[in-house]
Amino acid sequence: MSTPRHPRTARTSSGLHVPALDRRSFLGLSAAGLGALALSACSGPSTAQGTGPSSASALDFSGVKPAGKITMWSNHPGGSQDVEKSMVEAFNASQSDIEVSLVTAGANYEEVAQRFQTALAGGGLPGLVILSDVWWFRYFINDSIIPLDSILETVEMDTDDFRPSFFADYQYDDAQWAVPYARSTPVFYYNKEHWAAAGLPDRAPETWEEFGEWAPDLAAAGTGTQKVFHYPDMAGYAGWTFQNNAWGHGGSYSDGWVITIDEKPVVDALEWMRKGVNVDGWAGVTSNDQATDLSSGAISATVSSTGSLVGILESASFDVGVGFLPGGPAASSPVCPSGGAGLGIPKDITPEEQVAAATFLKFLTSPENAVAFSAATGYIPTRQSADVSELVTAAPQIQTAIDQVEVVRVQDYARAFLPGGDKAVADGVGRVLTQDEDPQAVLTDVRKRLEDIYASDVEPLLA
Amino acid sequence: MTLAPVTARATTTGAGPDGAPPAGTTDGATKPRPAARRPWRRHRREYLVFLAFALPNLALIAVFTYRPLVLNLYYSTLQWNLGSRTATVVGLDNYVRWFTDPRSLEVLRVTAVFTVATVGATLLLGLLLATVLDRRLHGRTVARSVIFAPYVLSGVGVGMVWLFIFDPTYGALAALLRTWGASSPQWYLDRDWALVMVIVVYVWKNLGYAAVIYLAALQSVPRDVLDAASLDGAGPLRRFWRITVPLLSPTTFFLLVTTVLSSLQSFDLIHVMTAGGPLDGTTTLMYQVYVEAFVTGRAGYSSAISMILFAVLLVMTLGQLRFLEKKVHYA
Repeated sequence: MSTPRHPRTARTSSGLHVPALDRRSFLGLSAAGLGALALSACSGPSTAQGTGPSSASALDFSGVKPAGKITMWSNHPGGSQDVEKSMVEAFNASQSDIEVSLVTAGANYEEVAQRFQTALAGGGLPGLVILSDVWWFRYFINDSIIPLDSILETVEMDTDDFRPSFFADYQYDDAQWAVPYARSTPVFYYNKEHWAAAGLPDRAPETWEEFGEWAPDLAAAGTGTQKVFHYPDMAGYAGWTFQNNAWGHGGSYSDGWVITIDEKPVVDALEWMRKGVNVDGWAGVTSNDQATDLSSGAISATVSSTGSLVGILESASFDVGVGFLPGGPAASSPVCPSGGAGLGIPKDITPEEQVAAATFLKFLTSPENAVAFSAATGYIPTRQSADVSELVTAAPQIQTAIDQVEVVRVQDYARAFLPGGDKAVADGVGRVLTQDEDPQAVLTDVRKRLEDIYASDVEPLLA
Repeated sequence: MTLAPVTARATTTGAGPDGAPPAGTTDGATKPRPAARRPWRRHRREYLVFLAFALPNLALIAVFTYRPLVLNLYYSTLQWNLGSRTATVVGLDNYVRWFTDPRSLEVLRVTAVFTVATVGATLLLGLLLATVLDRRLHGRTVARSVIFAPYVLSGVGVGMVWLFIFDPTYGALAALLRTWGASSPQWYLDRDWALVMVIVVYVWKNLGYAAVIYLAALQSVPRDVLDAASLDGAGPLRRFWRITVPLLSPTTFFLLVTTVLSSLQSFDLIHVMTAGGPLDGTTTLMYQVYVEAFVTGRAGYSSAISMILFAVLLVMTLGQLRFLEKKVHYA
């Protein structure tokens, strides 16, 4: 005896009647399935063995005509939106082959980086993208940007004119991966009125120990400050500027890829900072922005980027002094880390777009535009031939920042090249300064974290 | 929902394929009625209409909800840096890494404190506000709107405004405290105060939602029951705890499930106000997913954490449905 069965239904093993699959249904479902599979294939990495970062010699742009339209992604560092816009407009007006659109791709370097990473998977990449000092290397190891050597030759860009230390910051594996653009260093800012009230010479301290001797005088000068000195906030500059203290004590975060951040000189440097904050009490950590604290008169001195110079000069109601970063007991020079951002060209765009981007890059980083950019922001002109006379006349303090470039030191791999390395160091400094933890124990934790990052996120991709 | 009638019709009409009498039926000689096929035809039309309406939505859900979920599960088994073209299959290593990382315990602690505090405060204060608003007061409508307004505001905007209020140096709260001779807590530098700050703002923003839902529920509490209790000598507090609160339990249960889910997934306020800091003091499980993906660039590891978050949400929701729903009194 057979079970009565409806022609359009079938019975499952559990007794449930379901619609039978006819040819039309089958085709429809097949199409839907294929569509889903196609969508699934649109994203995600390949688990096949990778080929590693691009080779500089593999690219040849001779005969490639530039694309008609490209975009430039920027976060407008140092409040540079207006000057960037005017430079883009000037480029578009100077020729008719390439039209550049300026895109605000984030409020800071991190937001631009996030958008860029998303575009790497989802499309919509720019022709030119701003890359901070701690992000460009990730793009190199992820094979997301092209080496610029041959394309810069193609567009006949004069690279010898860049300040050598800035240009060399983007070199790895015998290739150039970005071009310096919004380049800065930390400098020592101080309130000249407070200096005078404390009877101090009108200059920045030569060493941090000397500043430690001056601090009680500044605290007793009756200037009404909350603290004599503010360290940068942990989420911002701490990992960058602490290199200065470490180098001054004769240490470093790393030696090549060997992490050395928990060695005695670095521990001593952090212990000296801890005492200033938690024992002597003349120093503190900003809860907001140390440049704002200085210009509002809440503190007498701080360390901040040259990119803050214009903002400080505009908002401060007192004479602002600017000096080299102080040295330490082991070294007084070079103890200033380089920093800021450069410009790179993505790999996954057409060669025509890459050539167009390089053509615009040549224009954007010309000596004239380098000066215009510096005048608007306080960033250091990246070209040696740039005429800075007007710049220095308008803001004499920028000369100090320019002079300091001669003694900058390339940043340690642990901060500049390890993804998340900057945060790991900044968190360690924060634990000591704001939670009063033991520097040796904290830096040992930081070393382990940095070594873990290198082993899991960098070493396999460099192999 | 459409299959049962089909089955019922198929068995009760007794019609076989093409209307032929089914084998084994006692009245096999009975001629099939022409009308026997009509219900199926009508049903098929309904079925097609159902598909026409449902398929686009099902397709969207499949593509934008379940497909990412499945892909995320796959990515969680990879050692993959965001933006990298290649990845290595590492099995469960990312999960092992998270469960053996001492920082994970701190992330769980922050997540638990944030969730318990925000959900507890939102429900408690929401109920109190609703009770107040349930009276005939002047300006009651305006008050309801004012209380509900923060819920519809952008989290980013709310965070920015409250950042100014909390700023220990230049903020409005610091200025107020100074007039009383007190100094501001270090909201941005101290881990515990930073967590308190984010909790306060989160509760402020979401309070209106709980208050409005509770208010609607309060207005449906039967007045005759309350009047009867009053006649029996029950005071206002006794009536509230013994009658109103139990009758609100379905609403409380609903709010508990929804606020726990939204609290565990909170992102915008934390991102704008503290970025997970200071020193990871406000890094919840949800925020860690973001940090690992977009700050440290560990997309595979981040996917594993998001699967763990998914599991936490699932277990909590099922736990609430399984155990707490028994305590609910449906009137």
